[in-house]
Amino acid sequence: MIDKNKSSGFRFSRISTIAIREFRHTVLTKGFIFGAILFPLVMFVVIGVMPFLISNDEVPVRGTIVVADSDGSVARAIEKAFDLYKKPKNPEKNSPAAAISDALKKNQSGDLDALDGLTDITTTVEVSVRSISIDADLAATRDQVQSGELLALIEIPAVLLAADPPADADISLLVPSNSPAKTTALFTRVARRATVAARVERTGNDFAKAMALVRQPQAQTARLTSTGAKASENLQLRFMIPGGFMMLMWIAAFTSANQLLTTTIEEKSSKVIEVLLSATSPLELLAGKILGQGFVSLLMLSTYGAAGIAGLAFLTMLDIVPLSSLILFFFWFLLAYFMVAAIMAAVGSAVSDLREAQSLVQPAMIVMMIPLLLWLPISENPTGWLATITSFVPPIGPFVMVLRTTGAVEPIPLWQIAAALAVNAFSTIALVWIASRVFRIGVLMQGKPPTPLELLRWARAR
Amino acid sequence: MIPLITNSTNQPAVILRGVAKRFAAVQAVRHLDLEVARGSLVGLLGPNGAGKSTAIRMIMSLIRQDSGELRVLGGDALDAKDRIGYLPEERGLYKRMRVGEFLIYLGRLKGLPRQGLTSRVESWLERIELPGVFRSRCQELSKGMQQKVQFIGAVLHEPDLIVLDEPFSGLDPVNARILISAVQDLHREGRTIFLSTHQMAQAEQLCERVVLINRGEKILDSSIQEVSQRFSPRAVEIEPLPGINIDLRALEAITGIESVKTADDGRTTVLLINERTDPHTVMSHALAAVPCRRIEIARVSLDDVFVRLVTEHGGHARQPARGAA
Repeated sequence: MIDKNKSSGFRFSRISTIAIREFRHTVLTKGFIFGAILFPLVMFVVIGVMPFLISNDEVPVRGTIVVADSDGSVARAIEKAFDLYKKPKNPEKNSPAAAISDALKKNQSGDLDALDGLTDITTTVEVSVRSISIDADLAATRDQVQSGELLALIEIPAVLLAADPPADADISLLVPSNSPAKTTALFTRVARRATVAARVERTGNDFAKAMALVRQPQAQTARLTSTGAKASENLQLRFMIPGGFMMLMWIAAFTSANQLLTTTIEEKSSKVIEVLLSATSPLELLAGKILGQGFVSLLMLSTYGAAGIAGLAFLTMLDIVPLSSLILFFFWFLLAYFMVAAIMAAVGSAVSDLREAQSLVQPAMIVMMIPLLLWLPISENPTGWLATITSFVPPIGPFVMVLRTTGAVEPIPLWQIAAALAVNAFSTIALVWIASRVFRIGVLMQGKPPTPLELLRWARAR
Repeated sequence: MIPLITNSTNQPAVILRGVAKRFAAVQAVRHLDLEVARGSLVGLLGPNGAGKSTAIRMIMSLIRQDSGELRVLGGDALDAKDRIGYLPEERGLYKRMRVGEFLIYLGRLKGLPRQGLTSRVESWLERIELPGVFRSRCQELSKGMQQKVQFIGAVLHEPDLIVLDEPFSGLDPVNARILISAVQDLHREGRTIFLSTHQMAQAEQLCERVVLINRGEKILDSSIQEVSQRFSPRAVEIEPLPGINIDLRALEAITGIESVKTADDGRTTVLLINERTDPHTVMSHALAAVPCRRIEIARVSLDDVFVRLVTEHGGHARQPARGAA
């Protein structure tokens, strides 16, 4: 029996009951399980397992190649080049993760060829080189290649070794029909490099020295902050990391808020709303629904966020996202979610179907697209006037602050973070309050959808 | 079913004093006074659009009255939600939810403990002849079955006050009888039941008291007995034995008879009696004058009262163009 003496006014148990139902009935659907849980999990597994798959799937390059050139200089250079592919003695340094991380870091610091050699690093290469003259009869050698007895026949025309080689002269590379593409690419790269080396040696210069002479130095950019500290400049990370965080927050908040809109309309159109309101107050119902979908949103954020963080940890790049940014991100997310959810719940309560909702949601959606448009300008200048002003404009403020706090080279002034938190928290409370006023009237209304003026009247009604 | 713990107070379960509600240009309810005594079974009658559902929604605090005083179980319905059961006129279920899960959810919202809730739901499903649907999805049930599920949702938590808006509409006679029986059981347990209907026969069968509203205004508030007396046609109906011709002159000669007429069925003769004459005396005289197959004092049907009063008060109400659901 129900305790007759217990007050049945505003009760958290009702809110939690509604929240749990809302959460379960959103999460335990095929669409959600696939989109929000399985997909990031698969992504994570692919990111984590791919290097092992690559290393386990590697086809060792073992055998002999024949190099036909005019004087054997290219053959010697190729032999020397293959010596570089011998595996280092320290196996840890040669692990797939370390190799990928190293290549990525080199690539980010400007070595654009670093990723090209990634597969070579993880592949066993044990190649012996046999040199023959380019003028010799190569028919038998070609037969040996065709039968797979030889790995390749590389023919270097003599003109390619001249000081001024013609532009239309090419190296000829013959490989067996079943030769893996990776192996062919490796031979091509080595042959081209060795030809240049031989050509340089012919001029009486040392190839290594010549390469050192022509190598363009990297430019390490750093920004001097107002405190005089040097902050390293990484253009790709400066745009990608804040953008990634903002998109993650945007998608998580909107997916759940949109679900809130849909379920509210569904409850209203199926008339179950009146049954619910006979058991709870509109405010309890709204709070339960917002909380339930909030947990859905957090679950999405956690799965995608965990996949991302695990990826960074795997690539030993976790230091680019400080813990303070993650903590602040959580607060910005809460503010953003509650604001968007309040808007969607109010709209959902005021209309009878999704078609009607479009006309009311569209203006809100246009406003909510602003953070996406501001991504590049704010990431470019996170402490500029545009970033500073938009931080205090609800409902886009939390999104802007995420862009700023995760991407700024120079620390955002503490007062701006505190003020933005305060302004956006106050705006969130105000929006939720207005939504609850609209919700309590809207859920029981039928007929044509209200005008914005009517919505205002509902918000002010006693 | 556990019997109701009677509240010590003698205050009516529902009190409405001068309650009014307007939706735009339509005055849905005007100056409505109403009391529903604790433990009683009261019917709210009226044509479509009379304001029944609006009155009920105000009682449930789903919408606020524009003026007047409204008390439910001694206070605001918002503060007594766990003690009220409500079946709205427009039925609604979560279509993809399973029946048992839906009822458990409603029970939890009404403050029932999780322990024993499943068996309570199963017991109610058995009671209203819905066995085996616990794991069925709501959308798999027929309309009548869905209505019975909703009825369980309204009474599962054993409320003090049960408010049913058109509980039998759309049900076939068999299912209607099952629900009527359940309502009668709940009433016998001492629960207060307030139901709206426009099906007079069911109101007559169930209710102790009826309140008739039309165009948002109360036009009748009486017990069934009072209605019978007040609207008694003061007539005696006679059906003679087969082959017997009635001597109308002999009947007209009985003291107190105002007129004699033949009913529409062609078999029954109706003797209209004046105010001062006892119908029983007329019956004994008539019986002596005519060998009867059937003779009885004519009864008023709630249908007749309904039609008469609604016609007197300006016919059917208009449907509001827009307003609360």
